[in-house]
Amino acid sequence: MSDKTLTQPGGIDYRRRQRLARLAQTLVILAGAIVLTIYVLAPVTWLVSSSFQTEAEIVSVPPHWIPDEPTLQNFEAIFSATEEEEITYETRSGQDPASGGFIPSTAKNLLPAMWNSFLVATLVVILNLLVGVPAAYALAKIRFWGRDASVYFILITRVIPDIALVVPFFLVIKNLGMLDTIGSLVLTYLAVTVPFSVFILVQYFEGLPDELDKAARVDGCSRFQALVRVFLPLSLPSLVAVVLFTFLTSWNEFLLALMFTQTEASQTLPIVLAAFTSDFTISFSFINAAGVLAIVPPVIVAVIFERYIVSGLTAGAVKG
Amino acid sequence: MARIRFENVEKKYANGFHAVKDLNLDIQDKEFLVLLGPSGCGKSTTLNMIAGLEEVSDGRLMFDDMLVNYTPPHKRDVAMVFQSYALYPHKTVYDNIAFGLQMRKAPRDEIDRRVRDAAQKLEIAHLLDRRPSQLSGGQRQRVALGRAMVREPSVFLMDEPLSNLDAALRISMRAEIKELHQAMQTTFVYVTHDQAEALTLADRIVVMRDGVVQQVGSPDDIYERPQNTFVASFLGNPPINYIDGTIEVTDSSTARFVRGDLALTLTEATARKLADCNGREVRLGIRAEDVDETAQGGEGSVIRGKVNSVLPVGSDQFLGFDFYGEELFFRVGKDLSHRLGDDVALSVDLNRLHVFDKDSGKTLIW
Amino acid sequence: MRRLFGYEERSAALFLAPVMAVLMGVAVFPILYSLYLSFFRIKLTRPNRTPFVWFDNYTDLFTNDLFWVSVARTVTFSVVSVSAIAVIALLVALLLNQDFRGRRILSTILLVPWAIPYVANALMWKWIYDSGYGALNGILYQMDFIDKYMIWLGDQEKTIFLIANAFVWKEVPLATILLLVSLKSIPSDLYQAARVDGASVWQRFVHVTLPAMKPGFMLVMIYETMMAIRHFDLFFILTEGGPGDASHVLSWHIYVETFRNLSFGSGAAMSYVLALVTFALSYTFIRTLGRKV
Repeated sequence: MSDKTLTQPGGIDYRRRQRLARLAQTLVILAGAIVLTIYVLAPVTWLVSSSFQTEAEIVSVPPHWIPDEPTLQNFEAIFSATEEEEITYETRSGQDPASGGFIPSTAKNLLPAMWNSFLVATLVVILNLLVGVPAAYALAKIRFWGRDASVYFILITRVIPDIALVVPFFLVIKNLGMLDTIGSLVLTYLAVTVPFSVFILVQYFEGLPDELDKAARVDGCSRFQALVRVFLPLSLPSLVAVVLFTFLTSWNEFLLALMFTQTEASQTLPIVLAAFTSDFTISFSFINAAGVLAIVPPVIVAVIFERYIVSGLTAGAVKG
Repeated sequence: MARIRFENVEKKYANGFHAVKDLNLDIQDKEFLVLLGPSGCGKSTTLNMIAGLEEVSDGRLMFDDMLVNYTPPHKRDVAMVFQSYALYPHKTVYDNIAFGLQMRKAPRDEIDRRVRDAAQKLEIAHLLDRRPSQLSGGQRQRVALGRAMVREPSVFLMDEPLSNLDAALRISMRAEIKELHQAMQTTFVYVTHDQAEALTLADRIVVMRDGVVQQVGSPDDIYERPQNTFVASFLGNPPINYIDGTIEVTDSSTARFVRGDLALTLTEATARKLADCNGREVRLGIRAEDVDETAQGGEGSVIRGKVNSVLPVGSDQFLGFDFYGEELFFRVGKDLSHRLGDDVALSVDLNRLHVFDKDSGKTLIW
Repeated sequence: MRRLFGYEERSAALFLAPVMAVLMGVAVFPILYSLYLSFFRIKLTRPNRTPFVWFDNYTDLFTNDLFWVSVARTVTFSVVSVSAIAVIALLVALLLNQDFRGRRILSTILLVPWAIPYVANALMWKWIYDSGYGALNGILYQMDFIDKYMIWLGDQEKTIFLIANAFVWKEVPLATILLLVSLKSIPSDLYQAARVDGASVWQRFVHVTLPAMKPGFMLVMIYETMMAIRHFDLFFILTEGGPGDASHVLSWHIYVETFRNLSFGSGAAMSYVLALVTFALSYTFIRTLGRKV
């Protein structure tokens, strides 16, 4: 700063202008940050806030932005819903039924659906790793005849829209007698996750030096050993990214699950949630609580693993 | 114990790049062979083919009497040191060195003995528990050497192992590598673009350009008797000077090189080789150090010109010298001081002249 | 002498076999099967008669008014959402490219919309837009912009924009992250050079930042367009294509045709059209990005 004023003829003036410019910049950044925070968080906050309101409070006009008397009854209703004891609006509270809303009998499906979602996501993750890691290593480090063709092939499968797969999937799954099974979801989710995983991993493996691969092989590793003994231990960040993406994609997937699931045997969380929203008799506060439950796990995962997600997103999306 | 033979070996890449053309080379057991050339000349590809890291496109690659064209690297008994060292970042120094032996299922106590032995020799015994990221460049280099050494391979390959080191370290490592070769009694193949490294280390040097071998020979051969202008130019600092001119043959044992005022009398041995070259356009090569400013050169050995530039380099100085519009560089002593524009006369060592065909660049005298 | 399948080819084949098998099974086979199906008239209500009809499903499609309505709706939805995403993501990326305290926290917060499931997102916006008790009505009413609660999603004019808003909110984070990468890859000496040349902040933005971001921008536009034209979840939960045909987009049309009218042949034909459009779009995408892989 000081030597700038020396070289600047109107020193004082220049310095003042500089300071003003900096102040303006700070203000713009501050305003931007505030607007962005509100834009992102306001809708979610509203959802969370209304999940803690009672049925009576949630229907007030204008709405209560902050619950007057926060309550956990919506969540309790979800966690205590069981086959034996069907919780309805009547059994839950003595409020005026005219204010609308009751706990649907399907509430008991919510926790099993979460379990189904978890199971499907976990299986899809495992299969992605088993299939994706060797493929990515081959594409990144082996110069073989047909490599470019393979890359293009996987890129193309990456852009097939899921909705274009629905009809053929449905008929195949039906003929295999796999409708309403978790297996049908695991299988079809591979179509929407594997290409992405492969490209996250290819990108990462390409970033590791070729000479490392050569050193391993001269040291006596077969291709397989070079992958397992040298590359796998070094690729943890990309493996984490793959696990996260695959898990979240499966956890959040809706369209395919809508086609192939019918009962609680295979229904995943998004399906049960979607069913609530189309039922006009269900209490809003209850739906919101269910929505919050669906949001919490992925958001926690995203916040904890932010670093891996950002790098993975860039690798996978840019490459495919 | 390995003798490596290339028989008409070709390397073409899928993109059409022809990296190595019709390579014929016989590397003797326990020889220290250096592959020398500018980047892209095919020297690293050649090394990688020996290692098995690149497949041979055509021709035969033999280890002793065994065809190894299709043998993957882990089944060849070779060890390699890389320019970037390529140490395994997740392993300790100990495990880095031991890895090759572990992969070959050597007994545990044998591995331990050899690793500690090598570490002792390379003076890195105190670093065995560290990770590569905690080491300096020179230490990493030693670990990389150690990793190759413990394997006691039949062929020891090095791909520009010293180019990431600073100048002083590079010189001392040269000496150590030479000692290592003596101690290990095995075949070394060493790739570099550094002529000084090649001249110090090699038993034989292979000079390559655009995938074609230009000359194979001892460092002396290569430096003193270059087969063509490429080899002559590639070695020597400052590079060799060229003067285009004509040969005038008087009789079977006397001949002159003539260019304008300059007339150099060739030695009898040279003249005999050029006996049927009367009037031929040639390119004369004079190495920068093959002149003497103080000696009283007789007629037929003096080259004159105006000083264009003076570059002192410590031990002596380089004289930039204008000769018919071309800039020649000579290395002269520091005893005489020169100013720009001075006229100088240098006496040329006539025994060390190089004569090349002007068009093909091939030597006419060696 | 040369063997086409050396050790490298053999190991690569082994490593790629699982992925190829999986993708053949779950991507290539279905898409081809879909093509095959699209030549038949398949009604699940009439399972025993599935005549081969050549291109009838396609010609029927192009003469069907509702199909063209759905194309128009999809175009509106995509154009609106993608341009909004591009503008907002650009602003957010420029903001997050600055160095200020709290930047890390802000970028973490930004991941929230990306992480939540689309269904939960839909449910949330359905609640916000709710005609009886929703936040949008509440806030506009409290601020005196409206004097009575509105049935937002029941408004033919506004529905598609409201859905686009929900889509944009969820897609902005991804677009921002992609743009940030291209921003970060601009070498800082470029800015310094421009500064030395006397360029103002605005000139630096126009002449240095924008050109450098062009590839990243293209990527975001194409990627988000692909996501927008195939989007389904929000339409299913927020409006079911309504009111009337106000949000009857192509993906919804396919769903109705296939699973409500149980007409699989024409459903397959339509999804094939959608797939081809996506392929055409992503061709540039693959050309520009495939080379670098």
